[in-house]
Amino acid sequence: MMILTATPHMAVWGKWLGDALGTNAAGASAGNALFGIFLSLVVYLFGQWLFKIGKGFFLFQPLFVGMVLGIFILYLMAKVFGTDTATFYKSAYLPGGNIIFWFLNPATIAFAIPLYRRNDVVKRFWLEIVLALIIGLVISLFIIYYAAKLFGLDKVGIASMLPQAATTAIAMPIATAIGGNAAVTAMACILNAVIIYALGDWLVKFFRINNDPIGAGLGLGTAGHTVGSAKALQLGSIQGSMASIAVVIISIVVDIVVPPFATMMGLR
Amino acid sequence: MAANKDVEKVDSAEEKPASPILIQMGIFAAILFVSSLISPLFPASFPVPTPVIGLVLLYILLASHIVKLRNVEKFGDFMISLIAFLFVPSGIQLAASLDILKTQGVQIVVVVLIATIVLLVVVAYTAALLIRIRKNVFHRNVDVDDDD
Repeated sequence: MMILTATPHMAVWGKWLGDALGTNAAGASAGNALFGIFLSLVVYLFGQWLFKIGKGFFLFQPLFVGMVLGIFILYLMAKVFGTDTATFYKSAYLPGGNIIFWFLNPATIAFAIPLYRRNDVVKRFWLEIVLALIIGLVISLFIIYYAAKLFGLDKVGIASMLPQAATTAIAMPIATAIGGNAAVTAMACILNAVIIYALGDWLVKFFRINNDPIGAGLGLGTAGHTVGSAKALQLGSIQGSMASIAVVIISIVVDIVVPPFATMMGLR
Repeated sequence: MAANKDVEKVDSAEEKPASPILIQMGIFAAILFVSSLISPLFPASFPVPTPVIGLVLLYILLASHIVKLRNVEKFGDFMISLIAFLFVPSGIQLAASLDILKTQGVQIVVVVLIATIVLLVVVAYTAALLIRIRKNVFHRNVDVDDDD
């Protein structure tokens, strides 16, 4: 703000930028979506580049870099424009972000295709897959609930932690429905992938998870989402296909199990 | 075996040319539209998000051969290849809730770390146990073909 309004000449530029970003009163109604789309692309492509030159360092995962850098840029720009980050995010980023976000709908539906491609495995093991995911999720929910309580999270925080096994697009509406914060749930889903990418190999060895290839695949797909299924594929094709099946089925299982669990625990 | 018949059908379907991309998008749009009509019918205590319904619908349509893989897979695979990028706005929306991170940020990260490990280990062990029951109690074959 200081730089942009230091001289009248600069103030003109500030107004022009503000109009383009939709942060001025006049521009707010226009809701220019281009900045949000542009920023999302830039931070994600930067993350991809950083991941490549960083030789796959775990904190340089493109989505994680994109999230942190994107928030940091919005924070800096909010400072420059003299508003708070949340307001600036809503007026400048959200219109474009929503357009990209909408495409998660067809992308999530598209997961039916890899599921159908492995229909032979699904048909043979459907009972084990569904039972393992339901029982495993219920046990995990209890542990997650009490861990969250132990670390002093409030009701909103706990409710945000419960749906994280589902893919982000499905976890967020469930989090909102059980009284959680969808943004925190989305961050949890992204962190799941970062953690599995960083510690997956070590965890698999330490807990001897690969003794059962089907279990290894289901576990990695549940805990690490699509990054988990990429990890599982490195262990073998059985693990890979099981993980991609788990990513899809666990989302449906979360949808069925988490809302009653939240009601049972008195979260809503 | 039923599974083999399915694979053959899938293979023969792939020999025919893929549907034009606009048709594929049309199928996705139709499924999404129907799903968005079904989703509000569920009670608020049991929310079923539109994409979940769409996912199940597309799977049923594929499994019943009403929709063939060649009708949807070009657009579907393209969307899946974009999925990490599509999550960028979901990550950045945290900018609107930075205050929750200020008060509970460290705890949330620790709980997510615990949750990730718990989900991995518990699901993997449960599945291993169930597979062992299938093998030892029901004496059923548990080998999976490597055909990826």
